[in-house]
Amino acid sequence: MVRAAGLVKKFGDFTAVEGISFEVRRGETFGMLGPNGAGKTSTLRMMSGLSPVTSGELGIDGIDATANPRSIRDVIGVVSQHDGLDPDISVRDNLTVYGFYFGLDRDTARRRADEVLDFFDLKTRGGDSVDDLSGGMRRRLTIARAFVSRPRLVILDEPTTGLDPGSRNRVWEQLAVLKNSGVTVVMSTHYMEEAAILCDRLVIMDEGRILGAGTPDELIQELAGAEVAQVRPEEGQRDSVQRQLQESGYETAELGAIFTVRGLNGDRADLSKVSGARISYRAANLEDVFLMLTGRDLRDE
Amino acid sequence: MNESLAKRRDTGRIDFRVRGVAGVWLRHYTAFKAGWLIEMTGILLEPIFILAAVAFGIGKLVGDVEIRDNGVEYAVFVAPGIVVGNAMWHSLFECSWGAFRRLQTNRIYDSILAAPVSMRELALGEISWGATRALMTTAAVLAFATITGLVESPWGIGILGIGLLTGFMFGGFGLIAAAIAPSTHMLTLVFTMVGTPLFFFSGTFFPISTLPNWAQPIAWALPLTHPVRIARALATGDLYLGLLWSMLYLIVAAFVFYPIATRLLRRRLLV
Repeated sequence: MVRAAGLVKKFGDFTAVEGISFEVRRGETFGMLGPNGAGKTSTLRMMSGLSPVTSGELGIDGIDATANPRSIRDVIGVVSQHDGLDPDISVRDNLTVYGFYFGLDRDTARRRADEVLDFFDLKTRGGDSVDDLSGGMRRRLTIARAFVSRPRLVILDEPTTGLDPGSRNRVWEQLAVLKNSGVTVVMSTHYMEEAAILCDRLVIMDEGRILGAGTPDELIQELAGAEVAQVRPEEGQRDSVQRQLQESGYETAELGAIFTVRGLNGDRADLSKVSGARISYRAANLEDVFLMLTGRDLRDE
Repeated sequence: MNESLAKRRDTGRIDFRVRGVAGVWLRHYTAFKAGWLIEMTGILLEPIFILAAVAFGIGKLVGDVEIRDNGVEYAVFVAPGIVVGNAMWHSLFECSWGAFRRLQTNRIYDSILAAPVSMRELALGEISWGATRALMTTAAVLAFATITGLVESPWGIGILGIGLLTGFMFGGFGLIAAAIAPSTHMLTLVFTMVGTPLFFFSGTFFPISTLPNWAQPIAWALPLTHPVRIARALATGDLYLGLLWSMLYLIVAAFVFYPIATRLLRRRLLV
């Protein structure tokens, strides 16, 4: 569905995307996990035909994205970080008018608008002004809007950023239903739970590069192991604990006042000889993967 | 690059879709319909207040005005100027203030461009809606002027076309301003430094010949001067060859701003 090879995006002297390659298969939900500034949005904007490709190859559903940005927009649905909802018209008209942009006739546009309103549980709000919706509903309306044209590929840029946990769950539920409907989804996120729950496969990005790729489980197994140890040094013991961990030979990353230690060959790290710290074990997650890859937290600015 | 991709690249060249323009126009029409009652006050009532006050109030204090050696009542003189000047205000406002709100404040352009609408189609949709509003208000005020006897010739119906072209011209100009304005604050310059002087000094309220000699060539170069001149000739039925120059000016100016606006919007939005 999507094939990128050596994809580069530059803004003047600044390189936002440094030659990344990946492939998205038909029907899967593909994620890009990384902190702000990793190059996710730039990549998605190029995939949406909204931002010229600086160099490299990018094919969307057999269309060359570097030459035909508009032909791409015929077959995809885009959900950008800014909702870009129209406050001058009602919720339902936001959807109908979006159909007009795709050249749908009035009847078809209205029918589709009602369909997606129904699907995204916004039916009772059809006549309301967009300004009266909660943040979660606005987001759902923005996602609904992308489906009016019945796209083959939907691109979501951080679909739940800025939402409260309750609204986030609602959006996840709905995206899970869509996923089962067979549409191909590419989404960016900096929430590891989101990537773990929704994505069939994902790439981990940082500073314009792809650092790892695979299913969430593969990535965790390969890069963080099944379980990681969390080592909290006692007061005044940080340096000593760090030295002991270095000597132990395990891969270690420090975040705040805690060391995260990765096991070897799927076994958890044996830290029984480390003194001066409280040690606990927990299941590894994508956050650990990112930490191991970069030494930083996903939410680092 | 395989063959099918290369083929698509070729056909992408002459890529202009009327339905892209129509989609944008329909968005505006939908918004207009939703608030038409309030919209009508701007389209119909406000310009009629101005026309009534100036034509029948100030007009009583002013004697006849000479147009090409014929004296006409001030009310007859001023009516076409107010009709066309008002058409300018509507498209200028819609395509600068309105467009800036959509572009910057509400980011609606981002949504429109994420659909298969090109920048060229978006810009033309904006300008043609501005022109549509200009046409609506021209029709409304022209009807009022006709009923009150301020339009003396059946040629006056042609003022509808002049209002529409004026709408295209100032729609394009307004969109350029929206595309380059960093803030709404700067955008108000369009009204204070462009709209207002044009409205008053384009031969709308008094003949250009009353201006000091040095100012007259400037007034003749102003873009509103020409549609006002044609509209006045149509309203009085006094048509003459010199109007062709004004017509040429108007037609060229109506479409010269559009490609510039498209380019500036592209520079602002497609990075």
